[in-house]
Amino acid sequence: MELFKKTLDPIVALSIIAVLDIFMFLVVGAWTVGGGETMMTGLIAKFFLGDQLSRIPFWDIVFKPDASYWKIYISLGMLFGAIVGAVLSKEFYWRVPRHLSEWVMITVGGLLMGIGIRLAFVCNVSTFFGLTPEMNLGGYLSISGIIAGAWVGSLIYKRVLEG
Amino acid sequence: MSPVGQCLAAFLFGSVAGLLVQRSRFCNTAALRDAMLFRTYRNTKALLVCMMILTLGFTAFITVGEGHTMHFDVGINQVLGLFLFGIGMVLAGACTVSTWVKAGEGNVGAIWALLFTFIGMFLFSLVWSFDYWPPAPSSMDHLPHLEALQFGYANAATLQAKTGIPAIVFGLVQFGLLFAIYRAILRKEERMAQAREQTAAPAPVTAPSTAQAEPAMARDVDATPERAG
Repeated sequence: MELFKKTLDPIVALSIIAVLDIFMFLVVGAWTVGGGETMMTGLIAKFFLGDQLSRIPFWDIVFKPDASYWKIYISLGMLFGAIVGAVLSKEFYWRVPRHLSEWVMITVGGLLMGIGIRLAFVCNVSTFFGLTPEMNLGGYLSISGIIAGAWVGSLIYKRVLEG
Repeated sequence: MSPVGQCLAAFLFGSVAGLLVQRSRFCNTAALRDAMLFRTYRNTKALLVCMMILTLGFTAFITVGEGHTMHFDVGINQVLGLFLFGIGMVLAGACTVSTWVKAGEGNVGAIWALLFTFIGMFLFSLVWSFDYWPPAPSSMDHLPHLEALQFGYANAATLQAKTGIPAIVFGLVQFGLLFAIYRAILRKEERMAQAREQTAAPAPVTAPSTAQAEPAMARDVDATPERAG
C-alpha cells in the first residue's frame, strides 16, 4: 500500500485530520490531548496512592480519576495508530537517546510540558486545533504564550546544540 | 452520546490521527521551532491549512448552534502555561501529539518525555487550590476579573450572541488572516528558492535536512531503520 511506502504530505494528512476533528467537534468535542493525559496521571496516581489521592483537592474537585473519560482514548488511539503506521511501513524500532544532555533536555522538557498544561488548563492541541478555530479568547492567549516559549526554547536548544 | 460511544469515537479519531501524523511526520513542535530556528516551513504550512479548515468548519456549525465548544474561563494562566509548555516541547523535541506518535515508533525518549509530563502534571496538582491563582476557579463565572488575572469566557458563539453578526463572518475574517500568513510563507519560500538558484550554493545553511533539524529525541525518527541495529 502506497501509504506505507513513502512519507505523506503533511498538508494532506492535516486536512484529513481537520475534517475528522470537525466531526469530533459535533459529536463530543474537538481534538485535545492534555485533558486525557491529566486523567491518566490521576489514574496512575490512584493506583499507587489509593484513596489517599482524594486528599489532594485537584483530584477530588477538578479531575476525579475516571477511566471512562473519553479524552484518554484519543491518546491511546494515537499510540495505536502510530504503532500500526510504524510497523506496516517497517519504521518501528527501538530508539534510545545516546547522550546524557539529551536525557536531561527530555526530562526538563517533559516536566515543563506537564506543569504548563496544568497551569494553562490547555495543551498545544487544544490551542491550535480546538480553542483558536472556535475563536476562543484562550486560544489567542495560548498562541502568544507558546510562540514566546518556543522562541526561548529554540534559543536554549541552539545553545545546547552549539555546545 | 453514551460514554462508551464517546470513548469509541475518541479512539477511532485518535487512531486515524496517530496513523496520519506518523506517516506524514507532522510535528507541532517543528511547526514553530523550524520556522524560528531554520526558516523551514513544511510543518507550519500544514498547521495553518488545518487551522483554516477548522476555523471555517467550527464557526459554520457554531452559527447554527451546533458543536461542543470548550467551555471554561481564560486568563493570564494560559499565556504563562503555554510559555512553559513551549520551552518544554522544544527541549523535549516533541509536543503532546508527537510524544504519543514517537512512543508508538519505539522512541524511548518519547516514552521518557511522557512519563515526565505525567510527573509534571502531578507536581502541579499538589499546588492547585480552589481559592487562589493560578487559576482560581472561585473567580471563574464567565465574567472578567482582572484582579484575579481572569478575562472570562468569549468565543465565536458569544461574539454572535453579543453582536448579532453570524459567527461564520468572524470565522471568515480569521480564515483570511491565516491565509495571509500562509501566502506570506509561500512567497518567502519562493524568494529563498530564487536566492539559492542565483548564488548556486550546493546546500543552504538555513534549510537543513529534517534529520539535522530534529532535536535530540526526534532525530532518530528519521534515521534509516538499518541504523537501529
